[in-house]
Amino acid sequence: MVISPVHYIALPLLAAFLIPLFAKINKELVRIIPGLVLAYLSAVSIVLMQKVVNTGQPVIETLAGWQAPWGINLVFSAFTGFLATLMTFMALLIWIYSYRFKKIDSEPAMKYYILFMMLVTGSTGIVLTGDIFNMFVFMEITAIAAYSLTAFYRDRDGAEAGFKYLLIGSFASAFVLLAILLLYTQVGTLNMAQIAERMHTVPTGMKITILVLFVTGLGIEAEMFPLNGWAPDAYSQSPGPVGATFAALVVKAGVYSLIRVIFTLFDIHGAFDFLVIMGIITLVISEFAAMKQTNLKRMLAYSSIGQMGFVLIAFGIGTKEAVFGALFLMFNHAVIKGLLFMSGSYLVYNTPSKDIKDMAGIGRKFPFMTFFFALGAFAIVGLPPFAGFWSKLYILLAAADEAMLGLVAIILMVSIVEIVYYFRVVAKLYWGKPTDNEVYHKPTFGGYISMTILAGVILLVGFYPDVITGFIDRAADTLLDKGEYISNVLPKVQELVNM
Amino acid sequence: MDPVLYNKIVSIGIYGSAIGLILIGLYAVLVKKHLTKIVIGLSIIDSGIHLLFIAVGFIKGGTAPIFSPKGIELVNQGTAMVDPVPQALVLTAIVIGFGVTAVALSLVIRLYRHQHTAKIDHIKSLKW
Amino acid sequence: MKKAIVILLLAVVGWVLVDTFFQVNFGESRLGELEQQKTVGAFYLNNTVEKLTVANVVTAIVVNYRGFDTLGEVTVLFLAAAGLGSILYRRKEEGEHDVMVLNNSSQLLQTGARLIFPAILVLGVYVFIHGHLTPGGGFQGGAIIATGFLLMFMAYKDYHVSHNVLTWVESLAGVLFVTVGIWGLISGGSFLENVLGTGVLNDLVSGGVVPIIYIAVGFKVAAELTGVLETLLNFKTKK
Repeated sequence: MVISPVHYIALPLLAAFLIPLFAKINKELVRIIPGLVLAYLSAVSIVLMQKVVNTGQPVIETLAGWQAPWGINLVFSAFTGFLATLMTFMALLIWIYSYRFKKIDSEPAMKYYILFMMLVTGSTGIVLTGDIFNMFVFMEITAIAAYSLTAFYRDRDGAEAGFKYLLIGSFASAFVLLAILLLYTQVGTLNMAQIAERMHTVPTGMKITILVLFVTGLGIEAEMFPLNGWAPDAYSQSPGPVGATFAALVVKAGVYSLIRVIFTLFDIHGAFDFLVIMGIITLVISEFAAMKQTNLKRMLAYSSIGQMGFVLIAFGIGTKEAVFGALFLMFNHAVIKGLLFMSGSYLVYNTPSKDIKDMAGIGRKFPFMTFFFALGAFAIVGLPPFAGFWSKLYILLAAADEAMLGLVAIILMVSIVEIVYYFRVVAKLYWGKPTDNEVYHKPTFGGYISMTILAGVILLVGFYPDVITGFIDRAADTLLDKGEYISNVLPKVQELVNM
Repeated sequence: MDPVLYNKIVSIGIYGSAIGLILIGLYAVLVKKHLTKIVIGLSIIDSGIHLLFIAVGFIKGGTAPIFSPKGIELVNQGTAMVDPVPQALVLTAIVIGFGVTAVALSLVIRLYRHQHTAKIDHIKSLKW
Repeated sequence: MKKAIVILLLAVVGWVLVDTFFQVNFGESRLGELEQQKTVGAFYLNNTVEKLTVANVVTAIVVNYRGFDTLGEVTVLFLAAAGLGSILYRRKEEGEHDVMVLNNSSQLLQTGARLIFPAILVLGVYVFIHGHLTPGGGFQGGAIIATGFLLMFMAYKDYHVSHNVLTWVESLAGVLFVTVGIWGLISGGSFLENVLGTGVLNDLVSGGVVPIIYIAVGFKVAAELTGVLETLLNFKTKK
């Protein structure tokens, strides 16, 4: 069996169906199997990435033996492959972190690992698929796993947050479904490459309606303002590792789908300006909202929304440099927010009120956790020499190149807000007057391992950004070259057209 | 009856009822206070969209896309078959709608157990 | 006041939808010439009989051309069942036991349910075995079977379906689906590829792996829907 992108979907599904049976043999297998699957998929990612880099061609997998427009296909290009690799590795680290994260009954533990694995599979599937309806199916897999995981803990307000998320998420899926239906009536196909090719035949009015439906539906998943009401609740009420998964995988998949629709499917130029405007609104509002938060996880959630706004701005500028910066930021955000959520949940875990002001002085009791949190905070606000600095720099340069000086000013201003609220927390953690709380939840060994790896990556990318820029550069090229995407996916149809 | 007029009336009837369902569901979600009614509203919206799927796939005078002996006979006589793709898509969409409704109902049950009410007004953190 | 705003919003949404959909003429064929295969619909209508020997084109699309979607769909159901289990999980306390309905229903319903239950099961199995020949298939058949179990839950206070059996059925059916897919990957070259002989059109055994997958889906959907109904209806009470 050759290594192919279909492993990303088939193996986790096989494992998920088998886990209930393995649970009857040994309860421990329930926890171990997802890790084995994710470790294997990480290896697959490396092999496929090497193949893509060496040949310069995407790996395209047809399914059920039908060529591209007739059947569903998976596209592992430099762009989608980069995101899929990032997601798989982050998922593996989050698994290591969540292995024995909290003592739970074996019955919910089984469900937790199944749901977590499906959350990962759904997000990876969104990125890899080349078919618009298949993307919807993966969106729903991700969404249902996310609703259930949000409501996982009984002792929090998880059910409320989950219901809110579900309510908004259902609207998202309704919008996307309507958009797919209208698109199908206009172009008679569901393959994204073929849709892109036939898009020019669609009347403009219809095109705009479809685009608006898509942007509204996918914007909900991408946490775009004003559709992100679900995010702070979902992040703060879900278990810690799930919050990290939302930030590192689910939101990335949402942004990806939005970008894929706007960049590849549609050729309306106004959409890019719209992205910039929505990005600015999202960024400004959420960063100011983050400043007002007293709950650490809600603060991280708002900061996450803000970063996504930043990513949308960069994609909206649309030049090569900006897209490069945006992808770099997506990478950094996944790694850094992963670290922040991982260390932050232990800080929250040891503070019964979950309030930032009650965390004062916790740095003396938990030197490692606090160090990791501080490192993440410094990195995400973009201080040199950490990873976040480079992505911010590239986006600012790209904006300056396009003579968007107002935009540069806004970004710098918001950065100051960001620095203020993150430093406030870090200062409180280290120099606050400790209140004595007796609850001690020592991080697990796995927790230390994954946080150390993430911290290492942040420092490595900070000092030597070259280790990652090559991949991002290729990814940006691939995303921008729409003609190549079409001709790679639809070689035969292209020949027919040329004849 | 004039075929053009007839066509118009039929399309208003079909599209109108599907869109009407979507609007009824939307009204329920936005106005109703009881969580179960909100979930019902969501599934009514879904039903409306599913009807739209079937409606756009229909071809006037068309038959079901099944090549049974009878179907083959009809095709040989020149009858068109309706577009099979929306029907296949709607099957997927219905199943997904079912999954979402099931999870929604279970969340409502959880909320009811926890708060002993299912009115949206009494559940503080649902307001935003 | 709120209602007025909502009605205004509904009017806007309704107007946009009506305006958009009236540009899509009802009853008009958008498939193009079938032979030219400009659209996927035309391709499927044109090639299914010849290449797959499946009479029901919708089944061919659901199970073969877009079989990957169906795998996702089955996963959605599986996830919904798992999510329900995790959301509604509660440890059984001392002296509690599971109940579906508080009181036994009337004699009439009980006798009727016992009479009609086997017939419902047979109908369900018929629908999913003939999924590639007649309207219907795994999802529909599975749903029919689940209604049979729902009837039994409503009629009998102490009717239980063993969770063990449900878990085994849904896991094995899911594993069968993915294994057929991987089998296609190994011996045919792509996931879910039809690697069996296709047989004669309109025979019960035709269409290669299509009926196998649909039967697996039928069992899986039946087990999952029954499991979902059981979890939703179940509550724990002290005698």
